[in-house]
Amino acid sequence: MEKLNDEQIVKAILDGDNDAYREIIRRYEEKLSHYLRKFINDKDDIEDVLQVVFIKTYKNLHGFDMSRKFSSWIYRISHNEAINHIKKYKNTRICLDDVEYKLIDDKVDIKREADRMFLKKEIEEVLNDLKLKYREPLVLFYLEDKSYEEISDILRIPKNTVGTLILRGKKLIKEKLEEIGKKYEE
Amino acid sequence: MKNELENKIMGKINDGKIRLKSKYVFWAEKLGLGTAFTLSIVLSILFFNLILFYLKETDNLKYLSFGKFGIFAFLESFPYLLVIVFIVLIVFSGYLITKSDASYKKPFGQLIIFMISFIVFFGVVLTYTGLSQKIENHSRNLREPIRMLLPLAEIHDRGVSGIIFEKYDNYLIIQTPQGLRRIEFENNNDLKEGSFVIAVGERKGFNFFASEIKVIERDDVPAIGREIDFKFRSFDRNDFNKRIPSNLLYFEDEEKKCMEDCFRSERSPRDCFDECIRP
Repeated sequence: MEKLNDEQIVKAILDGDNDAYREIIRRYEEKLSHYLRKFINDKDDIEDVLQVVFIKTYKNLHGFDMSRKFSSWIYRISHNEAINHIKKYKNTRICLDDVEYKLIDDKVDIKREADRMFLKKEIEEVLNDLKLKYREPLVLFYLEDKSYEEISDILRIPKNTVGTLILRGKKLIKEKLEEIGKKYEE
Repeated sequence: MKNELENKIMGKINDGKIRLKSKYVFWAEKLGLGTAFTLSIVLSILFFNLILFYLKETDNLKYLSFGKFGIFAFLESFPYLLVIVFIVLIVFSGYLITKSDASYKKPFGQLIIFMISFIVFFGVVLTYTGLSQKIENHSRNLREPIRMLLPLAEIHDRGVSGIIFEKYDNYLIIQTPQGLRRIEFENNNDLKEGSFVIAVGERKGFNFFASEIKVIERDDVPAIGREIDFKFRSFDRNDFNKRIPSNLLYFEDEEKKCMEDCFRSERSPRDCFDECIRP
């Protein structure tokens, strides 16, 4: 089962091998949990949402278009559930790993040395302040390593818009971080 | 947490508590979406064609030739219901596009422009097929709310058009899609009986006080001509001994009653108009 790709596993499930779904859960549990942490702060909430995502994914497997990438489809379901959760609880605080905040720091290309020494807290704060429409593609591109094509499928927005939102989001983060940097210098 | 979640979900799947939704549900969903989209596009084409037909074949646009006096008549006779239904169908089609994958694979603006161009093109093509005229003929037998979509026989307060039936010193009796109507107009020396005219002014009760009248060709307002033909199909103008059916008399009750009594005494319409229609 490990040798099969996602789409082949889905086909096996649809052909009656329910147990193959275990492999899907194994492959995506950590990835999706990691992704959901960018929208939901509470661990128990993440677990609940994750469970809903896997249940919905399973139930709707017949609705999956085999000509598409399964990973984009399951991320789309996770994205929808994350948005539902945010709407319900109005809580969108982001939680970054130790490596991730450095990654953001690098990607926004901050030239001033003083600005490079931001604390994780500040990066999180800037991302929290960012509108969801910028945060979503930034998280998927930089932290989930998704291509423009995949982000377009997950967020259901045109590829060009993905690029524009990432560029604008990056610019906004850079401006905010530089502002904070100046304050530190003073 | 890892195995816990996996076991929990797989347990529910193996116990049959979570089941795959039938593939037919998804097929039905796709089919429904496709059918609704096709239907809304076809209806949009049809309604666009009816709007063009109405503007081209009725007196609506002709009122604009009267300048600022014609604007009210134009606005009053504008086919709002057709336009509203058309806009609702366009919005609904756009909404259905957002539900499909095409909505983000191609820029939404481009898709909408393509869709509207498609509707406009086929709407224009349809005007050459005579379909609208078939709808017009058919709509006369339809019930009121549907008939309102193509309001050819509606009474307007600011404008009227029809054929001069009788000419008097300070008023005209004209054949309109609503029946015979009196148009008060003093300067009518140049007008001839049988001419097709269009007038702007103001309706007061059953009378229309025209501020301006123009002679037009029947071909300028063919749908109005057909509507008059249909209304007066059982009446021969030259047969003066034949009475005019009461549903074709758009006059005040007293005048109408006088006309009916006059017809019963087998006098000609002209004599009856002389006797019953007060100057």
